[in-house]
Amino acid sequence: MTDTDTKALLPAGLRDLLPPAAAFEASVVDRLVSHFAGFGFERVKPPLIEFEENLLAGTGAATAMQTFRVMDPMSQRMLGLRADITIQVARIATTRLKNAPRPLRLSYAGQILRVRGSQLHPERQFSQCGIELIGVDSPAADAEVVVTVASALAALGITGLSVDLNLPTLVPAVCDALHLTAEQRAEARTALDQKDAAAVAALGGPASDILGALLKACGSADTALDALRALDLPPVAAAERDRLAQVLDRVRADLPDVGLTVDAVENRGFEYHTGVAFSLFAKGAPGELGRGGRYLAGQEAGSTQEPAVGVTLFVDKVLDVAPQPEARPRLFVPAGTPLADRIRLRDEGWTVVAGLEPVEDALAEARRLDCDHAMVEGAPRAVG
Amino acid sequence: MAPEKLVIALPKGRILDECMPLVRAVGIEPEPAFDDPKSRALRFSTNHPHIDIVRVRSFDVATFVAFGAAHLGVAGNDVLMEFGYSEIYAPLDLNIGHCRLAVAEPVEMEGEDDPARWSHVRVATKYPEVTRRHFARRGVQAECIKLNGAMELAPALGLCRRIVDLVSTGSTLKANGLVEIEHIVDITSRLVVNRTALKTRPEELGGWIDSFREAVNAR
Repeated sequence: MTDTDTKALLPAGLRDLLPPAAAFEASVVDRLVSHFAGFGFERVKPPLIEFEENLLAGTGAATAMQTFRVMDPMSQRMLGLRADITIQVARIATTRLKNAPRPLRLSYAGQILRVRGSQLHPERQFSQCGIELIGVDSPAADAEVVVTVASALAALGITGLSVDLNLPTLVPAVCDALHLTAEQRAEARTALDQKDAAAVAALGGPASDILGALLKACGSADTALDALRALDLPPVAAAERDRLAQVLDRVRADLPDVGLTVDAVENRGFEYHTGVAFSLFAKGAPGELGRGGRYLAGQEAGSTQEPAVGVTLFVDKVLDVAPQPEARPRLFVPAGTPLADRIRLRDEGWTVVAGLEPVEDALAEARRLDCDHAMVEGAPRAVG
Repeated sequence: MAPEKLVIALPKGRILDECMPLVRAVGIEPEPAFDDPKSRALRFSTNHPHIDIVRVRSFDVATFVAFGAAHLGVAGNDVLMEFGYSEIYAPLDLNIGHCRLAVAEPVEMEGEDDPARWSHVRVATKYPEVTRRHFARRGVQAECIKLNGAMELAPALGLCRRIVDLVSTGSTLKANGLVEIEHIVDITSRLVVNRTALKTRPEELGGWIDSFREAVNAR
């Protein structure tokens, strides 16, 4: 191994984005954020690193295992590098913007860092982009977030989109009604997470009947909802189901082309959600493009918390399925071409690459610099 | 528009013979080369033009399905527990491939030591994750030596004293002078499905799951 090779090595899960991938990522983030802005979601920019106790308070506790820490030599306190931006936006909404009128619509985009990657998701730094709608607890608010994010993805040219609507509060409500012990709950949770019908059946008693029926009530929205309606759910759970149906109707009315599925037992990644939650999928994408749902914004339980609903897009997964825009043609112009001319050419749609020294053969120089055209005798000529 | 490709991953070996009757019962018939032991092919077409079958090692079924390279598959819960992939659902117990995961040790050691006093054990196994978790629950640190087969040889050759392996009749253990001392979990083969595939093609994948369920119940 040569010296240059070892210098290029990066820590596991981190990578350099080169042209044109870096520009593609930036343009996708830009288009998403502009779409959100067009529908009233105003951008905020929290810092990369902040006091650990703020980052990990309340809903942030779920990211504790994934957060890098450093000590701040200034304040002598522990700082956390954000593993999620939602928590920061919720903090902004409930503190600095607590007097702004509700509903408060905010958007964000930025990089996050995680302590560990996995075989499925080896990346440890990635780009996130999302919206939060804070201060209102209603099916209309739930539906607006789903519709805004799905239409943003469709505007990128992603086809075969589908939204999986979930009710992470349903299973706990059923477990409460059945008076399951903590141990039984944990067993049920594991079995349901893997959709393991055999393990659910093995739970025995009324739990296996009702949880088994919930497990079967997963799939296309209409069939799943009919199956859920046929169940004799405890009142709290039945209210959740009806709320889901209302959200579903609104989303379907706005997005007739987006596939809709319902999965009442999905829980992974929704640990802090308090109502309707959802994941976004697209045909051909290996994993989910994003996820979101209803939660309580704010750090302390009680009066300072506010109802909120939001969504986070995993930009690297979005890039996998977003069509690449056609690259602008690259034009080589000889040294000394005035800026005014170069601006005019750029405005005509060229990417203008200027020579720094005079060259004999402009076409050859253009080819060497990966340009498809060169300015020869005052006119662009294609490189052969 | 031609239907989208559907790839089914099946495990090589013993389980394959048990699961093929189910695959055929749902109306999927692989090309003749599939049953030809001399064929070196790994990917086979079927009587459905858009369905292909791949034959891979049982551990790789889970990986292919987790990454979405295959949409459906057959995998034992031993494999699912070892990986714990979040992108795999196991909606159906196929009621085949029955066996159990167990701890075994040489016959002469049995009754000699007291497992309650262990703080640390060294174990040869194909399942380091499951093994570590199993012992960790009892407060015992397990140092796992990962082997890919013939675990039963390890104690006799002094590699370690205990193994964690699949046991079906117990005859392999017996032939190698080992005895089962702890039962970890019962194993059966499951129909597994990729999470994204199930969400983006719910009717199609849901339909196959229902067909397999009927085939299992009909047996």
